[in-house]
Amino acid sequence: MSSLKLKTTILDRSISKGKNEVSLNGFALLFSEIVQYCQNRVSTVPELQAKLSEFGQQVGIRMLDLLIVREKNGKREIKLLQILIFIKSTVWKSLFGKEADKLEHANDDDHTYYLIEKESLVNKFISVPKDKGNLNCAAFSAGIIEGILNTSNFPAKVTAHWHKGTTYMIKFDESVILRDKQLEGR
Amino acid sequence: MAIYSIYILSKSGGLIYQYDHTSIKVEVEKTFSYPLDIQLTEKNKRIVVAYGQKDGINIGHILLAVNGSQLNGTSLGDGQEVTAFLANESNYPVNLKFGRPKLSTNDKMFLASGFYSFYLIARQLSPVLASSGIEFLEADTFKLHGFQTLTGIQFLIVTEPNQMNVEHLLRRVYELYADFALKNPFYSLEMPIRCEKFESNLRLVLEQQEESSVNTA
Repeated sequence: MSSLKLKTTILDRSISKGKNEVSLNGFALLFSEIVQYCQNRVSTVPELQAKLSEFGQQVGIRMLDLLIVREKNGKREIKLLQILIFIKSTVWKSLFGKEADKLEHANDDDHTYYLIEKESLVNKFISVPKDKGNLNCAAFSAGIIEGILNTSNFPAKVTAHWHKGTTYMIKFDESVILRDKQLEGR
Repeated sequence: MAIYSIYILSKSGGLIYQYDHTSIKVEVEKTFSYPLDIQLTEKNKRIVVAYGQKDGINIGHILLAVNGSQLNGTSLGDGQEVTAFLANESNYPVNLKFGRPKLSTNDKMFLASGFYSFYLIARQLSPVLASSGIEFLEADTFKLHGFQTLTGIQFLIVTEPNQMNVEHLLRRVYELYADFALKNPFYSLEMPIRCEKFESNLRLVLEQQEESSVNTA
């Protein structure tokens, strides 16, 4: 009897995808509050972006574990390109319901990759005032990417820019590129 | 069919957004001989008709151009003062263009808060409690449609008298306000709305509305 009862706890149920859509309006209002919360605690635009990125990293760390178990049967990505594609499609699809538009490799620098999103969901209702300069609230999404990459042991810096919509610039650590080259040889 | 302008008033009656969609130009051009038979005065750095209304030139109209060249405030293109130019007999006959001045931002704020008071009076006039106030105002040259939300924001749309389906448009504008102003972290309540996305989407909705009303007409 007791073993039967145990089976019904949440830990024993499989992690199903379920219906994972939330209201866009609800999200937009929450995100707006997040930005205002951050804004009340910083004084400059770069600080605001850093704070948003911090919030995003918390989301990224949690999303990584969840998605690896749900979608990848517990196997983590170890190759650089694979993890970027994982972010572009799997992560973006489960977070925003669509894949990111483009993944590009910088011509002049092999440490740098660009993930391009024409219309970022987090920016859907946000008009940045002129005095805020080049603030992009997608710094939050950049934080998500950074959180995922860092916890997968691909140390990187990710920043959000206004270019062809929103472009996330992913700058990998030297060690990542070296390791990836070694892996390629095998 | 045309939508002239949109006003959004905050719950305390202040104008927080105004957009002119279609504006009608009222301009009259006429050639005058000496002496000038209308009286002009200078007001707020503009030359205004003070007396001698005729041929479509009304009191309150401002002088826009002299002999086809645009005025720059109260001076001509070459820097000469208009009053001095018009006093000189040798400059006649002269061609003057008058027009109805556009409402300045200050005027609009003044009118909007004035309307708000009327709206409150209308609510008090109602014998029944919880009246909606003025929802619709009809004049020979325009119609004004109002919509008050539960939170006290008031939307006003001024249209041509035969414009249809304005109620729907008011709801759409409310939706845009809820989306692009309220969900914008950089907008603070009760303050003027300065959001690019709000404005561009509003323009889009107005154009769609005009297109659809052309199709059904």
